[in-house]
Amino acid sequence: MSGTDRPSYDAVIIGSGISGLVCGSYLAKAGLKVLIAEQHHQPGGYCTSFVRRGITFDAAAHSFGGYRENGIIRKVFNDFRLNDNVAVTRYDPTDVVVSPDSEISLWSDLERTIADLGSSFPDEQDNFRKFASFLLKPDPQSFAGMRRWTFKDLLDHYFRNDKLKSMLSFPIFGNGALPPARMSAFIGAKIFTEFILDGGYYPEGGMQRLSNALAESFQHFGGELLLSCPVSKIIIKNGGAAGIVIGGKMPVSAGSVVSNCDARQTFLRMIGKKHLPLEFMNKLHRMQPSLSMFVLYLGLDQEFENTLHAGSNIWYLSHYDLEKMYRSAARRSPSLIDECMVRISPDRKSLLAFTNTSFRNRAFWSDSKSKFIDGFIARLSRIMPGISQHILYKDAATPSTMDRYTSNYRGAAYGWESTTAQLADPDFRRPSFIRHLYLTGHWSTQGLGIPGVAYLGYDTATSVLKRRKASLSQSSPE
Amino acid sequence: MKENTLEKEIISIIADVSGFDPGEITPEAKLADDLEIDSIKAIEIVVAIEKKYKVSVRDEDVPKITTVSETVAVVHKLLNQELATNVRN
Repeated sequence: MSGTDRPSYDAVIIGSGISGLVCGSYLAKAGLKVLIAEQHHQPGGYCTSFVRRGITFDAAAHSFGGYRENGIIRKVFNDFRLNDNVAVTRYDPTDVVVSPDSEISLWSDLERTIADLGSSFPDEQDNFRKFASFLLKPDPQSFAGMRRWTFKDLLDHYFRNDKLKSMLSFPIFGNGALPPARMSAFIGAKIFTEFILDGGYYPEGGMQRLSNALAESFQHFGGELLLSCPVSKIIIKNGGAAGIVIGGKMPVSAGSVVSNCDARQTFLRMIGKKHLPLEFMNKLHRMQPSLSMFVLYLGLDQEFENTLHAGSNIWYLSHYDLEKMYRSAARRSPSLIDECMVRISPDRKSLLAFTNTSFRNRAFWSDSKSKFIDGFIARLSRIMPGISQHILYKDAATPSTMDRYTSNYRGAAYGWESTTAQLADPDFRRPSFIRHLYLTGHWSTQGLGIPGVAYLGYDTATSVLKRRKASLSQSSPE
Repeated sequence: MKENTLEKEIISIIADVSGFDPGEITPEAKLADDLEIDSIKAIEIVVAIEKKYKVSVRDEDVPKITTVSETVAVVHKLLNQELATNVRN
């Protein structure tokens, strides 16, 4: 590095999504000099909030999981003493699934869920217990044995009733954007475990609190966080990542580069074709991104009375064919908003609702955003009659909004599609053809949602530290 | 293929996935406890082995693989079966 005055770090991280923040925090705590560069003016990626008319809205992520005794988020909270700054509440039931024939409530108390299941699906109560006990017992090799299984295969293994299987699959569809016959068993199982069986937690004051607390802890350990600083390039020297260029003009040197952003942008825009093997390029072009989503935000007046549980994720499906839902997401129109998730904020001042949808193009969304808002409110009026008379504020995030704020390719909500075919290629996490480069977050492998990407952030930090230790001991002259 | 050559190759795959130095990985090492192999890495290892050796590990055999040497033994057996099939044909 001699002969240059450019700033130099042990590690730089591109993007301050939860995975980048967690990775950065562990690296900074281990004593490394770390920089995180974020394009947006606040940290968090999809885990951010905004305030309009004095009401706080969560932008995309609206609760988190993995907070049980040995859960990854609990570990992160303990390791960085986040409880000093963030009060966590668990809302019960975490999720409610409403179908044309019945309703399932998923409670934090598993036995209560099983007891409730008895009213509609008495023959499946034991099966649910076996399913949950499999999911909560961590045995890494069992998932490797299921690497070719879909989530449908896993459900078929435990349950008999097709309606129940669809109802249990719908929150997984909403949180992973794939129907059970397409989704890998591993990721379906992880979503069910981390979002449902151990989900429903909320940082009081909004999701931004979680991202901010992580960012503060990162800075507390000496990390530097640059906001509103888009990264234009990853510097490659002698086959290894050697730093980044911020805003097209400010080079920064680094021993390791971690990308917490879209894999396509990382490889095609920031690194460039000439550094990529042809086989990998072809694979990158074949990989399918997940669907995006349309998120509706409503500010509600205090006269609006409804019986929905505040803080619970409530899932509405008007039929049981999830494959059909997946196909209809690609041609979503203002009059074709049907299956959706609705969440009334704990303070009952706002409502977040979303439905999965494809990206199409920017022009489509700028032309039709307001029609979609009206179409979605019409849909919600069937669930909560009279809601349209109580709206103080309305806005929405379209796939184009997601793309603009987070640079996720085509506004993809969950990184790559979690199919078994796209399951495990280590080259997306630690590319073998570029040393000192790591990817973390939901584009790097199968791991999504706040617990999934937090785990990947922790694991990426561990990898960086291991390889750093190995290379330091090799290069040491003694 | 000789079993010790195979062992070296498998250790190299496990090193790539786990981040441990090949020199730190012994045949007796337990994948989960000693090498911190989680679900994602366990899947990555099996997929990498299947790709490299063009074999298919039976789903029910995967949970039995808990150490480096068991991994080598499973692949060794699969390669020998394949060899036997090719000789017969």
